Amino acid sequence: MTIIECPRESDVLDAVASGKWPHRVPELAGHVASCAVCSDVVAVAQAMRADHEVVWQEASIPSSGQAWWRAEMRARHEAILQASRPIAIAQGAALLIAIAVIGAIGWLGWTWIRQEPSIFDLSSVSAQALASPLALSLVVALLTLAVIAPVALYLVLSDE
Amino acid sequence: MFSRDVTLTDVERLDRVAARAVETLQMDEDTFRAFYDRMARPVWVYLARITGDRALADDLLQESFYRFLRAERSFDSESHRRNYLYRIATNLAHDRHRSRRGIVSVPVPAEHETSALASHDDVAGDAERRTDLGRAMAKLKPREREMLWLAYAHGSSHEEIAETLGLRRASIKMLLFRARRRLAALLTGQPGQRA
Repeated sequence: MTIIECPRESDVLDAVASGKWPHRVPELAGHVASCAVCSDVVAVAQAMRADHEVVWQEASIPSSGQAWWRAEMRARHEAILQASRPIAIAQGAALLIAIAVIGAIGWLGWTWIRQEPSIFDLSSVSAQALASPLALSLVVALLTLAVIAPVALYLVLSDE
Repeated sequence: MFSRDVTLTDVERLDRVAARAVETLQMDEDTFRAFYDRMARPVWVYLARITGDRALADDLLQESFYRFLRAERSFDSESHRRNYLYRIATNLAHDRHRSRRGIVSVPVPAEHETSALASHDDVAGDAERRTDLGRAMAKLKPREREMLWLAYAHGSSHEEIAETLGLRRASIKMLLFRARRRLAALLTGQPGQRA
């Protein structure tokens, strides 16, 4: 059966940690020489403690103020990203709707113009308009859209 | 409330959101700074040793403290808080290890470059030669490195190791024994002859 622990293991660890190992604990050194578990503990603990001291000295750690500032900035940034997601979705939806409305009006207008080519006869335009309320409202709607659409697009797409 | 909200511009609203995000952090600035001053160096040393990459340790240290700050949980004691931070660091190191599996290395510190280990070809032959810890650690599994470092460099108890690594306390003794035996064999150049 493999022995995986020794009751003197913690004494050995304490001796290594306190720097007493091996000269100031001769009795313990005698035990370690005959104990496979404790000799492993000594080999590993000594190497790791020495390495720990070296790496500890070499560590170049950002200051706590720097770390806090970074964390704060990142928390703000992530919160803003998360909160602005619905706004971006709304902006995208508004843009799509605007494009769809413009497309529908354009298509309707084009269909109507093809059916009534005489609208381009300037000599009769006022008479035509008076004669056809549909034509007048369509022209007014298109002119209004031509003015409002860029302003609406600007408002929808601007960040602030 | 509603009428007040609708009069705010998006910028003002986002400013409020950002301010609230800082308020929901785990600690206030003073508490965090005191905790960081106590813990940053040991956690960095731990990360540097278990990943073998100092630049990566820098990144993971920052990430660990950030995730710790964002964690929505309370702690019974300072040691529980400390173990939780180590656990975050360990999990981050594992994630990084998985994402670049096969290229993990443990570079040899400058101080150890002059140690007797010349090349892998010579290892089996010379029992008197001191094996460099960095190279020996590189041959261990990540879990073994973490466990050994916590136990022998950091001085953690079995219970603390179990909590940090998310293992059962009962299994620590055996796992630690195996990892220790492996490392001791690598360090003393006597593989398979111990315990």
